[in-house]
Amino acid sequence: MPQKKSCVAMLLAGGQGSRLGILTRHVAKPAVPFGGKYRIIDFPLSNCANSGIDTIGVLTQYKPMELNSYIGSGAPWDLDISNGGVFVLPPYSKGEEGEWYKGTANAIYQNVAFIQQFNPDYVLILSGDHIYKCDYADMLAHHIQQDAALTVAVRQVPWEEASRFGLMNTDDKGNIIEFEEKPKNPKSNNASMGVYVFTWDKLRHYLEQDEGNPESAKDFGKNIIPAMLAQGERLSAYRFEGYWKDVGTIESLWDANMDLLSNPPPIDLHDRVWRIYARNVGEPPHFASPKGSIRDSLVTEGCEIIGEVTHSVLSGGVHVAQDARVIDSVIMPYAVIGKGAVIRRAIIAEHAVIGENAVIGGETGGITVVGSGTRVVPGLKLAAGQQLGE
Amino acid sequence: MNQMKQDVVGLIYTGERMDELQELTRWRAAAALPMVGRYRLIDFVMANMLHSGVRNIGIIMQKNYHSLMDHLGSGREWNLHGKRSGLTILPPYMSRENVGVYEGLLDALHTNINFMRKSTERFIAVTDSNVLYRVDFSDVVRQHVQNKADITLVYTRDRNARRNGSGRYLQIEDGLVTRMEFDPTIPHYENTYVGAFLVRRELLIDMTDRAVASGQHHFSRDMLSQLVSERVYRVNGYECPGRIWMIDSVDSYYRANMDFLNDEFRAQMFRDDQPVWTKLRDEMPARYMGDSHVSNALVADGCLIEGTVINSILFRGVVVRPGAVIRNSIIMQDAVISRGVEVENCILDKQTTLRDNVRLIAPRNHPIVIAKNLTI
Repeated sequence: MPQKKSCVAMLLAGGQGSRLGILTRHVAKPAVPFGGKYRIIDFPLSNCANSGIDTIGVLTQYKPMELNSYIGSGAPWDLDISNGGVFVLPPYSKGEEGEWYKGTANAIYQNVAFIQQFNPDYVLILSGDHIYKCDYADMLAHHIQQDAALTVAVRQVPWEEASRFGLMNTDDKGNIIEFEEKPKNPKSNNASMGVYVFTWDKLRHYLEQDEGNPESAKDFGKNIIPAMLAQGERLSAYRFEGYWKDVGTIESLWDANMDLLSNPPPIDLHDRVWRIYARNVGEPPHFASPKGSIRDSLVTEGCEIIGEVTHSVLSGGVHVAQDARVIDSVIMPYAVIGKGAVIRRAIIAEHAVIGENAVIGGETGGITVVGSGTRVVPGLKLAAGQQLGE
Repeated sequence: MNQMKQDVVGLIYTGERMDELQELTRWRAAAALPMVGRYRLIDFVMANMLHSGVRNIGIIMQKNYHSLMDHLGSGREWNLHGKRSGLTILPPYMSRENVGVYEGLLDALHTNINFMRKSTERFIAVTDSNVLYRVDFSDVVRQHVQNKADITLVYTRDRNARRNGSGRYLQIEDGLVTRMEFDPTIPHYENTYVGAFLVRRELLIDMTDRAVASGQHHFSRDMLSQLVSERVYRVNGYECPGRIWMIDSVDSYYRANMDFLNDEFRAQMFRDDQPVWTKLRDEMPARYMGDSHVSNALVADGCLIEGTVINSILFRGVVVRPGAVIRNSIIMQDAVISRGVEVENCILDKQTTLRDNVRLIAPRNHPIVIAKNLTI
């Protein structure tokens, strides 16, 4: 029988991430590489570790293999402990019926028994597509102090963009009085971050209630929060300040990588107090050849740079051959950029091989993407905004 | 190399006297010397064993072993924390017979004879820790068995490992070691013993007991040379291919590191299928700023480079401020090279700080060492 835990985290990592196009053809979104050394899921997992939350269920459904092996025993995030730790939770068959996760709320509902093992007071709901550093312990303290049934993390977005978000309209005490999904005329600019702290008894009650409603989309934003508001529960907004980026699209993923190159960067990955942990692949230091040049970039161990790298983010084990040029781009682990190739405003996924003198992307226009393991023939020209993948 | 489990237990001796490494080994064992941007010397010794299928490793500590203990921890980074594998730290201790100071490897083996007794493997591979090279012990075992050897010594013909006035040299005839030579003014034999041998575990226990009982202290100087001259046992020689770096002076330390700027040597020591594991630091990737200029350099994660780095090695977390110029130097972790600094032919130990506009230029091929934690 596991020991009681005050708070259990549940990380929703099952979405297909279809807006990331070919980048998520072979892997789940949380396993997509980010910032040279990380994968997206490193951020919520490291936030948990740094917040003292040591029991985490990761709900997977879409292409889970790479994500599963990445999480492994949880050792990189200090989650390989005997009392708690990280648990990968795929959908499973229950007697006669087996079913996929049908929505965010349903995914948690199907794992009520997992959560109940730890008899927690609170449950933290996270998603696997955000880049940010957040002290969940502080949010939990807020939740307890406000005596709320649900606390929603919100951040203030520019008013002109507010209509693109799910908004939490609050009273002057910070209690949520209304939830509006992408309203035409926003009444507030408190955008939900999709990070929730629930009092476990309340969450369980509303999940069970929602399951009984055949009309429900079984979604936290669409169903659970409105039901709690309608039934007079106390919902509190926890205002988060600091860098937060949804990296659910090609453009936002590229933007968030480029953010790391501004000076000073809006999110400090060098922070010794709030370290972002990642699974380490054990590569030697990167080699900067006398023939090449590297400027204004992030370069990870294991790279061999013989060509030119400018304003780009390079993951581990990337090879940039002689006379190749990589500009304003994101190069994921073990990609090879052939001799004389030019990469501009592009994302080159893991193990892709760019043939000699290929030209990928352009100075303007959309972000160009080459999918994982894709071999680009020598001399090919791939125009701005195109995607090429196997 | 053979990744399957081998019937070999590994034993690493880290008690070498290393006076010629000066400040570099004042606070650490040679095995703990920082190497190639993110490693310690012992990582390469461990990699040799792990990639040869050795799953149990004992490490004999002697003096200044704190940094080594800190580095190795539970052995997790080397996957040596399982139930069927293990890392055993063997620190010195006082007993009725000795005060915990080893005169040589033989003393150390005798003191830790229980480790050998408790092991269950058929063979034991014993190595020094001040040598940098790649060897496949599973191939050593194969040759050892094939040649019906009692003990197999690993040697090299690489001239890089030769020293006038020091070292251990072997005469090899028909694959067998027929003579040994110690610290000759000029070595007669072209085969340099690299300080690694393989033997049946029970035979080593027996040999150790008998040698100590007869008053010997040094494994190779006393015991091995006697075995070789008496010709009671078959002492086999295994030639190790590739470059061998003996790390026995500031100069050889410097040159070994600098050799990793050469593609060929990097390829020898870092193979895609055989990672060299080390303690993790969870650093972010190295950050190059707009005005950085880096040429022919190895750079570890966590560095921030705003200045110029040429023909040099930067360990994790080194900061190079604008206008600073580093040439032909080894800069260990968390060193700060401030604005306008010039460093040439230097080895900066961990956490050193060079203040604005300091010039530190040593003569070519005579690197100077700046001790740990110094601010200049």
